[in-house]
Amino acid sequence: MQEKNVAHIIALSKELRWQIGDDFHDSLAESIYADASKIVEGSVTKGDQKSSFRIDSKIDKIVTSKIWGFPLMLFILGVVLWLTIIGANYPSGMLAQLLLDTCHPLLKEGASAIGLPWWLDGFLIDGVYLAVAWVIAVMLPPMAIFFPLFTLLEDFGYLPRVAFNMDHLFKKSGAHGKQALTMSMGFGCNAAGVVATRIIDSPRERLIAIITNNFSLCNGRWPTQILLATIFIGAVVPSTYSSLASLSAVIGIAVLGIFFMFFFSWALSRTVLKGEVSTFNLELPPYRPPVFWKTIYTSLIDRTLIVLWRAIIFAAPAGAVIWLISNIYIGDESIALWAIHSLDGFGFLLGLNGVVLLAYIVAIPANEIVIPTILMLTVMATGIPGGEGVGVMFELDSVTATADILKAGGWTLLTAVNVMLFSLLHNPCSTTIYTIYKETNSAKWTIVASVLPVVAGFVITFLVAQIWRILG
Amino acid sequence: MTTYNPTFALLLFLALIIVLYFLFRPNKGLYYLLRKTKKSNAKTIIEDILKLLYHNQASNNALNVNDLTNHLKYSNRLLIENVSKMIENKLLFMEGDALKLSELGNEYALQIIRAHRLWEKFLSEKTGFQKEEWHGRAEKKEHELSVDETNQLAALLGNPKFDPHGDPIPTSTGRVAFKKGHPLSELAVDTVGRIIHIEDEPEIIYKQILAEKIYLDSQIRIVEKDDSRIVFHSEGEKFVLAPIVAGNITVSILENKVLIQESTTRLSSLKTHETAKIIGLSKECRGENRRRLLDLGFVKGATVGVDLMNPLGDPTAFLIKGTAIALRNNQASKILIKKIEHGKTTT
Amino acid sequence: MEKQPHSACDTCSHFNADGLKKLGVQIADFDFVVALAGNPNTGKSTVFNALTGLRQHTGNWPGKTVTRAEGAFEYDKQKYKLIDLPGTYSLLSTSEDEEVARNFILFGKPTVTVIVVDASRLERNLNLALQILEITDNAVLCLNLMDEANRNQIEIDTRALSRDLGIPVVATSARHKEGIPELIQTISELANNKIQCTPRKIKNIPQNISKAVQELSASIEKEYPEISNSRWIALRLLEGDTQIVEALKTGTFI
Repeated sequence: MQEKNVAHIIALSKELRWQIGDDFHDSLAESIYADASKIVEGSVTKGDQKSSFRIDSKIDKIVTSKIWGFPLMLFILGVVLWLTIIGANYPSGMLAQLLLDTCHPLLKEGASAIGLPWWLDGFLIDGVYLAVAWVIAVMLPPMAIFFPLFTLLEDFGYLPRVAFNMDHLFKKSGAHGKQALTMSMGFGCNAAGVVATRIIDSPRERLIAIITNNFSLCNGRWPTQILLATIFIGAVVPSTYSSLASLSAVIGIAVLGIFFMFFFSWALSRTVLKGEVSTFNLELPPYRPPVFWKTIYTSLIDRTLIVLWRAIIFAAPAGAVIWLISNIYIGDESIALWAIHSLDGFGFLLGLNGVVLLAYIVAIPANEIVIPTILMLTVMATGIPGGEGVGVMFELDSVTATADILKAGGWTLLTAVNVMLFSLLHNPCSTTIYTIYKETNSAKWTIVASVLPVVAGFVITFLVAQIWRILG
Repeated sequence: MTTYNPTFALLLFLALIIVLYFLFRPNKGLYYLLRKTKKSNAKTIIEDILKLLYHNQASNNALNVNDLTNHLKYSNRLLIENVSKMIENKLLFMEGDALKLSELGNEYALQIIRAHRLWEKFLSEKTGFQKEEWHGRAEKKEHELSVDETNQLAALLGNPKFDPHGDPIPTSTGRVAFKKGHPLSELAVDTVGRIIHIEDEPEIIYKQILAEKIYLDSQIRIVEKDDSRIVFHSEGEKFVLAPIVAGNITVSILENKVLIQESTTRLSSLKTHETAKIIGLSKECRGENRRRLLDLGFVKGATVGVDLMNPLGDPTAFLIKGTAIALRNNQASKILIKKIEHGKTTT
Repeated sequence: MEKQPHSACDTCSHFNADGLKKLGVQIADFDFVVALAGNPNTGKSTVFNALTGLRQHTGNWPGKTVTRAEGAFEYDKQKYKLIDLPGTYSLLSTSEDEEVARNFILFGKPTVTVIVVDASRLERNLNLALQILEITDNAVLCLNLMDEANRNQIEIDTRALSRDLGIPVVATSARHKEGIPELIQTISELANNKIQCTPRKIKNIPQNISKAVQELSASIEKEYPEISNSRWIALRLLEGDTQIVEALKTGTFI
């Protein structure tokens, strides 16, 4: 396209800007609104105003009241999480039964029937298929419960009130009240939580919400916490209190995550992010009854399936990698064994071990496959009987059997506590990292968001390990 | 593993943290000191001398070389070296004992001040840095901006006339707008005026003024004054300042008392069941924040009421143009209102 | 009291609901581009879904659609591509949402812009509508959430509103699919130039600004005689919008 001579127009605009001065935007905004109210005068008649907003303000009085506001909020969040974690057990079990226990052997049989070479069969079925199946079985049910529930609350208009109630707390750590929601969303899935930060329209607070979202214990990590707490923490106390103790331990970890979220929000807003623009406004929309089935449908499509799809895309290659490192040998040691031995020293320093560290490296696509990977690697490293074969992830129905394998792998109470801490404080899964990059469009903030929690994890587990050993 | 000892590991870790802290702590860490010394080159020193002379010349204060060493944090050797360099380059000349700016020096000083104030304006409009930081950052940036960059910056900001403290920004041709005002500490009781400037140096006093939430461009009325304190009313609130603090606030006296709006208060003072008309936004509400509020309908003449109080006290939801919008207290305090009396509409 | 919200154009031919075919996301070739703009919380996405048959999630949140969603529908053998712009309060500021919306209406040159407003909060919503009418001539006001407005006993004289704004006004409640056929009919008539709009331009601008705007838009028109929104471009130049300065050089908004 041809360049026009517009220099004089731009020069003129500069001169005029100087003449008008700073008030331009103010005057313009005022005159548009004045115009709008004049039009409205001519075409709108309002009836009795008093009756109209009564229901809305009644609900508002309750949900933002000093006495009921916070208990109600905690209650609703508690119910949603409870329904998600408990409710997901059954469909998860059924999916696992179908995909892992039924389809996997069938596929293996089929493969041997058509004479697939062992390495291709292992790579595809034990590696790729198993990882994908695992992610679907563990991830799909909780998300399919959590997201619709959350979306219903959102569509009803309750969530902006939560942001309103919580803003004062978040403001103290330099964050936006709406972060309360993206954080809660993170309890379901961090990637979805990061996407949800779009509702925060202030650049600084949005970045804070994105970077700290990983401190919300996501769905993929709850089962790990529950399993380890049941095996190790529950065993410390008398058996009548064991379920109470393990429950408190899991909740304690989640609360610790919230504490870290506040701490890092505070630290970020006062250091690297203090130059970003910060604004605040929060519209409290009228309550609208959600269209139930449509909401369920759209939240499944929009949130659950998109996140699941991304997870599958990342899980497939991870499954392949897990299988490959266990089956490719350098000298007389597989890559996995070699890596475990190299990481053992550092792992010991952190109160963990090489198996755990390697599992967290290769299982970066999804937290759901961390425990199966740990079990498989432990069996392989210790040479104890059990498992499904080299490079084949597995999980056991019986908690005691799992405990036996872990204990054979040298696990102590300290290892369990530190794995629980490290499960909370480590880099986000690759789905989340990718989502952060998509949302921020910045390599810098993606790296900060990925490295910050893992460094925190190293420091905390290190400190716990040393103090534990000194005291014990 | 035979050499491992948890106490030793812990101590090693703590030692590492301490070393890192001393290397990187802000402003005093070795890393920052190293960067700072690298930057305090001849250009910075010369520009600082020019600025100091310019400001003192404006208040008819003659300075000699000794005064320079008192005011600036550079060594004597560096200062004398650079002063003679500046005399050589015709930026300065000596008049007896006193150092004077030449025409050229004056021009140069104005350019630095222009860069400084423009950068403060930029920080206030386009970034989220706190007020307390503007001055310090501009002190560094003013030495880095070239004339071209300064002009581009001015164009980007729409060639503003005043910086966020109310100081005039010199134009590219060296014109400086003039504002006539008096220090708040010298005003008599019952004087009515408008705050036109808040000095950002020294920092201790500036922070005190900021903490009081005293805003530029607010109208004030002195109600009490003695040697230890000055009391004035502004925007429906009462402020008490020590004279030394008040001396850093410049006020332009309003002769025409008809204009006085004693009933003007801040939106933050609105209570449940009260309604008000918006008079306007305070000048302290800047940049993106100001635009947002205007876009949301907080414009002159709009009616506003409290919709919901917060269980924790902040933010408050206001009903404006049919929608409930929550604002934080520090935003609401920058919206000026006039309360509407409800006497007539009793049921 | 009006029971049924009237369409702005009572003389139109009967709407041909049978001619409507929802095309989902197949937007390969289309005859017209329609933009959907509006404040947050006005049910804009619901209107979008009602028009396209897509099921985009509609949150009760301001600023849900950050990236723009696209869909399509077919009516009277003509294909329409529909763009759902982010919900904003205004088009004058610098936030990402507003930039996307503003630039699409100015540079994307949609054939028709549908301005979705909340009937019970008309004044707040008209702020945005008036700004959009500065940019584009071909627009229809979709007076949505009429059910809520009726419940709140708010009555709107759509004819007076249409006359004041200079564009057709269609009352809808997209949740219940009410008024959608009329809306489609109006879009089609606008696209085929069967209705002429004479949109209202912002009045009441202070003297010094309106003078500056006049001076500036006159000099823009001299360089680009064919554009109709020189006033908007002048306003943006006075705001210091760097994207407009660039566009002015290359003439991309023609």
